[in-house]
Amino acid sequence: MLTQPQIFAIIEGTIKTLQITSIAIVAGILLGMIIAIGRISKNKVLNGITWLYIWFFRGTPLLMQLFMFYYMLPLFTLDIFGTAVRLPGMFPAFVAYSLNSAAYLSEIFRAGILSIDKGQMEASKALGMSYTQAMTKIIIPQAYRRLIPPVGNELIVLLKDTSLVASIGMFDLLRTVNQMTNATGRWQYYLYAAAIYLFMTSIIQVAFGKIEKKYSAYE
Amino acid sequence: MIKLEHVYKSFGKLEVLKDINLEVKPGEVVCVIGPSGSGKSTMLRCLNHLERITSGTIYIEGEIADQRENNKDVLNISQEKVQELCTELGMVFQRFNLFPHLTAYENIAIAPKNVRKQSDAEIKVIADELLEMVGLEDKRDEYPSRLSGGQQQRVAIARALAMKPKIMLFDEPTSALDPELVGEVLEVMKKLANDGMTMIVVTHEMGFAKEVGTRVIFMDEGRIIEEGDPREIFDNPKEIRTKAFLNKIL
Repeated sequence: MLTQPQIFAIIEGTIKTLQITSIAIVAGILLGMIIAIGRISKNKVLNGITWLYIWFFRGTPLLMQLFMFYYMLPLFTLDIFGTAVRLPGMFPAFVAYSLNSAAYLSEIFRAGILSIDKGQMEASKALGMSYTQAMTKIIIPQAYRRLIPPVGNELIVLLKDTSLVASIGMFDLLRTVNQMTNATGRWQYYLYAAAIYLFMTSIIQVAFGKIEKKYSAYE
Repeated sequence: MIKLEHVYKSFGKLEVLKDINLEVKPGEVVCVIGPSGSGKSTMLRCLNHLERITSGTIYIEGEIADQRENNKDVLNISQEKVQELCTELGMVFQRFNLFPHLTAYENIAIAPKNVRKQSDAEIKVIADELLEMVGLEDKRDEYPSRLSGGQQQRVAIARALAMKPKIMLFDEPTSALDPELVGEVLEVMKKLANDGMTMIVVTHEMGFAKEVGTRVIFMDEGRIIEEGDPREIFDNPKEIRTKAFLNKIL
């Protein structure tokens, strides 16, 4: 069975996994909303910038983005500015996961807003509502419900993908048990990790199912 | 009340309105008929800026609501002014466009609350009165998905009336309804006309046009071909195209 230090190590790894996931989903939702508005807007500059953002962060591997903020940034800044800028502690992971999930979430938001029948905007305008009023009172509340399942899905993907931080030397849940197996030659540790991952993703699944039900009253 | 002067509208190369001139006076019920694609709906949608005209002038209540030349504004009208003018016009759509996440009552209340900033007590009086007028007091707290098409359209009429518009625009209000539900909507519209509401109605309901309309306009290929007293147009059309259309439809 597990020794006490091992239990602590696993708990610590799990906390790291949760920290990265929760920061990335919150920052990703906020940034993702801004990017989605930019993608929808008629302003060509905003539209172009947000398109480039999504193009880059969806079109390159997450692992590479992680390497860029961890390995490339100090080398790059040293080369260009003469001093190496290093993001402290877990920040390379926070930044990479936040920016990456923002790209995916913004596309989810954009699709959700565009999926609302254009008659809804027309009816709002015909009643004298401003664009902002129509968006906040009519369009977004309807899009909101449709967004719950894909956002839940994104959260689960994000949680599992945090295991990539092992490759930049961080001890998350997976790397912690991997280390234990390497040290002892016992295979059971992977099962503990699997159980913890499943426990966390199940909670997300159940919670999002409940939220979705709550908001589908009118259908 | 409403005046269109030399209004043109194109979608790309396709010209859908060609030199439309029309004046609607208070209390008139103008029924617009014509084959699909003749520009009837587009004309209606230009009035409240759902479509922007290519050139021409639109007056609402004596004020210029839109004046454009070659797709460019001649007169710069602020967004606020456009919104204000939109509240003079109530619009009822072919596909109802009720807000599905709001109950019947909330659908009616949302514009007075957010646009007019009226108090809940004031709104309650208006909304309850309107629900009674369209005969749906018992459906007050139902969501649109629980209502029949005819009931939805009646709520949509009440929603438009809640803003106390001076003119009501109806864009084929019964075309998406099952035949047995058409009557209840026309009934409400008739009541409205009898109360003196100024109305422009794009419709395929010739019976309604004949009975309630004070004037009928026949449009084809983006032009007003013929207009006049309903009885005269239906019984004794002058233009060949009007005759051909009426023969096909009646």
